[in-house]
Amino acid sequence: MFKILVVEDDRELNRSVCTFLNQSGYEATGCLSAAEAYNAMYAGVFDLIVSDIMMPGTDGFEFVQNVRALDQEIPLLFMTARDDIVSKQRGFRIGVDDYMVKPIDPDELFLRIGALLRRAKIAASRRLEVGAFCMDADAFTAELNGEEISLTKREFNILYKLLSYPKKTFTRQQLMDEFWDADTETAPRAVDVYMTKLRSKLAACGDFEIRTVHGLGYKAVIR
Amino acid sequence: MKRRGGYAGFLRGVHRYLLFFAMTAFLVTCCMLLFLNILTDTLHITFTDENIGMAAKLTFGNVVLLSLLFTVIDILRRRRAVHRPVNRILQAADRLIAGDFSVRIAPPDFSGADGCFDDIADCFNRLAQELGSVETLRTDFIANVSHEMKTPLAVIHNYGTLLQQPGLSEETRMEYAGVITQSSRRLADMVTNILKLNRLENQQIYPQATEYDLGEQLRECLLQYEDIWDAAGIEPVTDIVDGVRIKADAELLALVWNNLLSNAFKFTESGGVVSVSLRADDTYATVRVKDTGCGMTPEVGARIFEKFYQGDASRAVQGNGLGLALVKRVVDILQGTISVESASGVGTVFTVRLRRRPHE
Repeated sequence: MFKILVVEDDRELNRSVCTFLNQSGYEATGCLSAAEAYNAMYAGVFDLIVSDIMMPGTDGFEFVQNVRALDQEIPLLFMTARDDIVSKQRGFRIGVDDYMVKPIDPDELFLRIGALLRRAKIAASRRLEVGAFCMDADAFTAELNGEEISLTKREFNILYKLLSYPKKTFTRQQLMDEFWDADTETAPRAVDVYMTKLRSKLAACGDFEIRTVHGLGYKAVIR
Repeated sequence: MKRRGGYAGFLRGVHRYLLFFAMTAFLVTCCMLLFLNILTDTLHITFTDENIGMAAKLTFGNVVLLSLLFTVIDILRRRRAVHRPVNRILQAADRLIAGDFSVRIAPPDFSGADGCFDDIADCFNRLAQELGSVETLRTDFIANVSHEMKTPLAVIHNYGTLLQQPGLSEETRMEYAGVITQSSRRLADMVTNILKLNRLENQQIYPQATEYDLGEQLRECLLQYEDIWDAAGIEPVTDIVDGVRIKADAELLALVWNNLLSNAFKFTESGGVVSVSLRADDTYATVRVKDTGCGMTPEVGARIFEKFYQGDASRAVQGNGLGLALVKRVVDILQGTISVESASGVGTVFTVRLRRRPHE
């Protein structure tokens, strides 16, 4: 069972978030300040931290910075009333993985925590499995039913990205920004070429497909 | 408010008297000198100290009296032409300060100062009118906000009380809790929107514009609704020209697209279509967001950008009437235009036209 640390100074909100997470199958621990959170982290290991920004004493920014200095991997999620872009930029710069603006919808919190944990697992194991298809990010190898499928590095990276976020559409530009050099002159349509190649190489794979979302981009759909 | 008067007024009177005295004395002396010189030159009369001394005293007395007369006439003239209109303007200003925005200055009899006071009165009246309409807007806004806030609060309160009853069936309990959740969400959305709108309306320095790909922004905004169109069975259609770059504030514009899109998805039934198109020429970029939802009548269409206006009372639960006011405000800030075409039962098209580069 995943352990989640909730750092939020409002007692009622803290309690309700913890109760909700506990009912949703996580093991949540509530702390009312950063100091309490440090103590809880000495006492036990957590898989994910949800933190407020505006708290008395150590604020969320400082707390997250301290945690990040010790642990590069743990997923961090800000849950805050501050919706200005400056706070968001600062949050992401110091290393939070997700940012939610209060009032938060508990169902959305649940979804985002699930996604963060799944990605953390992928990131930690460096392996991704969809049915009989398996990708190893350290060796840059992909296997279907134990047989290796040869992919170029860029093909591998694109596929790894799509499968890390199943059902989410990426635009051509987003993929270009991530997997092509910044100064490249290639038009976004070059992505189409890669998708065609990927599809033909994965024609035998029945566990997922790469779907074109017309006019928008591509997504991986797991069957 | 206390006006300067009394002693200062007296000093001003004395000052003015001295001025008139100096002027009259100067004039009379000049005339006398001229007159006496001519007299001496042409008639060869010589004046003795005695008769000159007598005439000088008499003339001095005359000058003193004349200056006094001038001062009195001047004071009376000023009272009519300056003091009266100034006092009326001051009185009106006092009433305005006290919060009476209905006050107006009647202009007719300010003939004294070449119509200057007419201009001031005119300007004052316009000021009072503007203040009055701002005040009306403000009170309307407060009335609307408190109504919009109190309604969901009352609902939450009532259902909270109902939930405290013993022996409720599981089904009823869930129903009550559901209503509370829905109302609090509505309240939260509205508070968020009011804060955003407030920030936009009080914004003095506009965020710096950056150049970016508008089509990509539209695609990314549209993709945020992927879960919604999948769940609701709505088909997204895009017709976005590649490579349209625009210099504007991306965060503000995202607010526009998100509000237009969320409206489009909100009002479109399952099986409907939401389409986004982008066209551009050298100067302008035109974005259309079109849905096949319930549409609206022209009367509703004419008012949708007003704060708290909601077309259909029965759909009021779905929003707070601030989204499009926000959109309008942002488009105004960016010096663009927004228009709406709609037909009941057919759908709605919002068209936003933006300059690709801001005015220098």
